Amino acid sequence: MAKKKVEEKNQQNGDNSKTDKEASFDDEPNFSDPEGYVDNVTDEELLGDLLKQQPKETDGVESVIVVDGVPQIGPERMEKLKSVINRTFGKIGNFVNEYYPVNEQGHTKGYIFLEYSTPVHAAEAVKVMNNYKLDKQHTFQVNLFIDFVKYEQIPDEWTPPEPRPYEGQGDLYHFLLEPDAYDQFGVVTQDTTVQIWQNTQPDPTLVEERENCTQVLIKWSPLGTFLSTFHHQGIALWAGSNLTQYKKFLHVGVQFIDFSPCEKYLVTYSTMPVDHHESSKIIIWDIRTGLEKRSFNPEGSSTWPIFKWSHDDRYFGRIVNDVLSVYETPSFGLLDKKSIRNPGIRDFSWSPTDNVLAYWVAEDNNGPASVTLLEIPNRNEIRKKNLFNVADCKIHWQRAGDYLCVKVDRYSKVKKERNENKYSGMYCNFEIFHMREKEIPVDSVESKEPIQAFAWEPVGSKFGVIHGESPNINVSFYEVRAGQAPVLLKKFEKRACNHLFWSPRGQFVVLAGLGATGGGSLEFVDTHDFLVMNTTDHFQMSDVEWDPTGRYVITGVSYWKTKVDTGYWIWSFQGKILKRVNVEKFALLLWRPRPPSLLSEEKQKEIKKNLKRYYPQFESKDRMRQSKASKELIEKRATLMEKWRNYRAERMGRYQEVKARRLALRNNVDTDELDADTENVEEEVVEFFIKEEVTVLE
Amino acid sequence: MKPLMLHGHERAITQIKYNREGDLLFSSSKDNKPNVWYSLNGERLGTFNGHQGAVWCIDVDWTTTRLISGGGDNTCRIWDCETGKEIGSIQTKSSVRTCLFSYSGNMALYSTDRAMKNNCEIFIIDVRTVDSSIGEADPILTIPIPSSDTRVSSILWDSLEETIITGHEDGALFQWDIKTGKSIKSVKEHSLLINDMQWNKDGTMFITASKDNTAKLFDALDLTLLKTYKTERPVNSAAISPIFDHVVLGGGQDAMDVTTTSTRVGKFDSRFFHMVFEEEFGRVKGHFGPINSVAFHPDGKSYSSGGEDGYVRVHSFDPPYFEYNFDY
Repeated sequence: MAKKKVEEKNQQNGDNSKTDKEASFDDEPNFSDPEGYVDNVTDEELLGDLLKQQPKETDGVESVIVVDGVPQIGPERMEKLKSVINRTFGKIGNFVNEYYPVNEQGHTKGYIFLEYSTPVHAAEAVKVMNNYKLDKQHTFQVNLFIDFVKYEQIPDEWTPPEPRPYEGQGDLYHFLLEPDAYDQFGVVTQDTTVQIWQNTQPDPTLVEERENCTQVLIKWSPLGTFLSTFHHQGIALWAGSNLTQYKKFLHVGVQFIDFSPCEKYLVTYSTMPVDHHESSKIIIWDIRTGLEKRSFNPEGSSTWPIFKWSHDDRYFGRIVNDVLSVYETPSFGLLDKKSIRNPGIRDFSWSPTDNVLAYWVAEDNNGPASVTLLEIPNRNEIRKKNLFNVADCKIHWQRAGDYLCVKVDRYSKVKKERNENKYSGMYCNFEIFHMREKEIPVDSVESKEPIQAFAWEPVGSKFGVIHGESPNINVSFYEVRAGQAPVLLKKFEKRACNHLFWSPRGQFVVLAGLGATGGGSLEFVDTHDFLVMNTTDHFQMSDVEWDPTGRYVITGVSYWKTKVDTGYWIWSFQGKILKRVNVEKFALLLWRPRPPSLLSEEKQKEIKKNLKRYYPQFESKDRMRQSKASKELIEKRATLMEKWRNYRAERMGRYQEVKARRLALRNNVDTDELDADTENVEEEVVEFFIKEEVTVLE
Repeated sequence: MKPLMLHGHERAITQIKYNREGDLLFSSSKDNKPNVWYSLNGERLGTFNGHQGAVWCIDVDWTTTRLISGGGDNTCRIWDCETGKEIGSIQTKSSVRTCLFSYSGNMALYSTDRAMKNNCEIFIIDVRTVDSSIGEADPILTIPIPSSDTRVSSILWDSLEETIITGHEDGALFQWDIKTGKSIKSVKEHSLLINDMQWNKDGTMFITASKDNTAKLFDALDLTLLKTYKTERPVNSAAISPIFDHVVLGGGQDAMDVTTTSTRVGKFDSRFFHMVFEEEFGRVKGHFGPINSVAFHPDGKSYSSGGEDGYVRVHSFDPPYFEYNFDY
């Protein structure tokens, strides 16, 4: 039946193919729309990608320029004019088309159109030939043809721009409003999860957790206002109460960043070329506006940070090929338009409190090495010290800017080997500059042993040195006093440490053995009386971080260094373990810094003096927290136990029910309890071996 | 108290077991000779000589008359406890990984490894009378483990002799009906090999020890997960105290994974957890290799651990252990 119908249709097709719109399999299928069909697919939807390539009207005119002020001449001088125009405008590029409009008499109208082969030439022509003086009467006015369109579209009436609603940036210092002054820290794991913790007592609380938040690492700004995260596209800054996004800085492939000390500027450095023709660059940004202030080419090899900032953000400098360049803000120009050229200059460092920088110059054939203190911006050399037999120098400023220590590696013999100096008989000097005294006296401390680490007490006048060679590592503490040479206060001998970390408040110091060789030893020392408060360890530890208030120390084992037992431990400053946190793939932990206290020095001293008075108040608060926490724990345990007992009671009921079957399996001997079966007990005598006596028989 | 160090094995301990009364401690090792010791003074009572390869598993029946052992020499052997003589031996196609007596001691089971085209299989045999002909006797029941499932790495038999529970290489647990030989239930709470399973005193719960760094407590009836005890190292063995709500875990970094010689990295400690709160409250150091097997004395007053270092350590608890209480 069906077959017949098809045949019928075919016949119909043959007879009446024009009107029949039904499909048939033999003929070519019919793609026409049925009658009354309304096409609701727009061209954009259908072939949007093709339409984009559609030639636009302006395409042809982008390389066209209009020249006004051309002499008006009759047809007889046309040739001459054309040759003049060809000569003047042909310098820029070949033009493919020219048009000289003429009136009825054949006179030119005083303007002409020229079309260059590319828009680049047209733009160049506007730049070069505009206001070109042909002769006394004629000056060319050159415009791009497309400009006419642009200017035509400007509405006649000016409408004031919509005022944009004010977007507050939130309270950037929200984190400081914490009533108990708990500090925050950020934790990054290898799978790029970022956690922000509040170090509450007795257990830290999680404030924020974000997955895939950064590539590799995070960084806090120096005053703790911003959290920066690294992304392929650039840097993002987060701030405010919930760490919402504050600004983005686009810099593809950024690897290194640095904040200026007052958080005004951000320096980003990508070793990846931005475009194919551009080389890698360093960009300095204004953090508040998010605008690029200046970019630099990274010349010469340097260790990050390449640019070093003065303490007040006013100056920054770098050394490239024997030249120290100091720039000033906010102009970002070279200070006095002049660099400081000094052959052999190796390194420099700003004072943390004054606009003074210290730099050192290596020795060359005819001159000794030297350390110079330079005042900026007036470039006064306020102190210069010559040094002999210098292999290397390291500049260490004390954080309060009161002292400067230059660690000088010196040698007794030098040998030239393939353009490299081989030093031998090394020893070491510490040159201590008393910055606050008249004419800046310099004292010297010598050490015959190799130096492992050096660190100033951040506030105060002590410094610690780890010296000696494994296994005879010693730690010495010196004090610098006004008008005196440094005094050795204490020497700890034979210690297993290679780093020392001062509390940011001074006085307390942690001696730590980091890395594979350090063994993770930890020693908490009070340098007031050199009491070792605790000796302990955190095996394979790779980081030690003091909190900004000097109350806690966190030691971490990073996944970057070792794969097992990664995580962080929280200690009190006396070395009491507070918490051990194992985090799989733990990478990095950073305390959120705090801005300096707003209280004056006298006020702070007063508080310190009256500390005893505030004591009970905090003590009771701590006790309350502690008891609350233990109460919570006990409650939790109680509910667990309750549930457990119910479960067990039910199971034991069943256990008793099947006792008969159990007994049957063991010949009706009750073995449920160890002493249930009293009939089969046997006494046994067991001898104990107590001691052995050997008697020699003659 | 200073632990008793039982040094009689020349190679790593594979399993230790107390007899029902707890006066004897049996140990098997990779050195071919299971040992039996007085648990009270650590004196060695004797050895069971005959295996030609590592002995992976041992069990003693409830009357302490017979011992069963299985080893890498593809045999499962039954011994007379008193004389130390072998009374029967069964040749298998691959090494015997687990062996057990039933509650009544009338039956025994053993399981074999998957090796050289041989599937993993569980055999249940009649051991009422054992003589040299036991090798030819047909097993009562054979449960082949399909090749889609991983091999049995540990096994338990309930006290009514109705079901057995197997722990597998991939962390799965199966419950089998031994009347039909069919599996009744399975759960997968561990992600890696279950090395050991032990009953609590009354056989209503059992604890599993897994390479996934955890030990877990299960209900015996429906395999419900009750508790989890977390560590940072593979757990090789776990046991439940017969008198307290305590569990002990033994393990440590695998010997082959220990890159440094430091025992600190390995963490070869016995670790004590509260059974209900899942909180760790104590550690016992001592072994200088991973702990392969732990067992509580049936009176709960001492426990033993056997390690990769070849030692069995018998620890008697000090008085503070019995006085220690969790607040709740």
